[in-house]
Amino acid sequence: MDIVLRAIFGFLFIYLLLRVMGRRELSTQQPFDLIMLVVVGDLIQQGITQSDYSLTGAVLTVGTFGVLTVAFSYASFRFKRLRPILEAEPLIIVQNGKPVEKNLRHERLTVGEVAAEARLQQIPSLDAVEWAVLESSGKISFLTRPT
Amino acid sequence: MADTPQYLTLETNRDCDRSGELILRRGTIALLVVMAALALTGFFGQPPRESVAHGEGATIEVLSPNRVRGGLFFQGRFTIIAERDIESATLVLDRGWLEGMHINTIEPAPVGESSRQGRLVLDFGHLGPDDKLVAYLQFQVNPTNVGRRSQGVELYDGETLLASVERTVTVFP
Repeated sequence: MDIVLRAIFGFLFIYLLLRVMGRRELSTQQPFDLIMLVVVGDLIQQGITQSDYSLTGAVLTVGTFGVLTVAFSYASFRFKRLRPILEAEPLIIVQNGKPVEKNLRHERLTVGEVAAEARLQQIPSLDAVEWAVLESSGKISFLTRPT
Repeated sequence: MADTPQYLTLETNRDCDRSGELILRRGTIALLVVMAALALTGFFGQPPRESVAHGEGATIEVLSPNRVRGGLFFQGRFTIIAERDIESATLVLDRGWLEGMHINTIEPAPVGESSRQGRLVLDFGHLGPDDKLVAYLQFQVNPTNVGRRSQGVELYDGETLLASVERTVTVFP
């Protein structure tokens, strides 16, 4: 029984951690972001499964994670009021070529990082951007001005 | 001004006050910092703590962590200093030493082991005046062994109590 409880705690802790760390950690490729995303799975695994090498243990933990993932996404889909709590709202970070400083600061994003993301999408300058939106997934979507 | 992308509004997606979210974020990070700081002080285990008791003709010292975490290895060091002849130096360990703990080794091996009212009895035999016995017990915490338990230790000469140490151990999940 305790393996399921540990899995639930592990899931909720990682979920909370990712929510409070903000969206930038979900998609950016800075060294410290990568460190966090790469090691977190390894570090949490031993706390959850401990000395359990059994197939039953693996099924129970992976199953618990699966059920919680479905439950959270269903709750987000079904209950609109829960949505901003469970997943961050899309955030406008550039409007008509001008960065929205308050929102960039909130997400610890620099204009340089946004411009780099724009370049990855073949947009040479933020002046060409009508809207840039930091999505819930941590990715930035760019809508360019009509030419 | 151009229309916002579909399903986005300036009120919700640009100008919304996110101070509550910010407070929650900072509060959680502060809590994690506090936990890390507490861990640095040994709050979550496992620096050893020494307990000493002087009794009639003998002294017992116990050095072992009083806070441990599931799965960790730790050592209990039991020192008996005889001030007079002890016919049968016997340590009696509370159940907290064994309940949900693996004993990996006991060095030196006692000459006899038994149980006294549910507690482990380790008989190390004869000790002369000024003899010093150091017994090392190596443990590992069973991950499901969470909680607080008594880890008292009593030193007997046969059936005669010489000294006793009151201790507890807290096992974190």
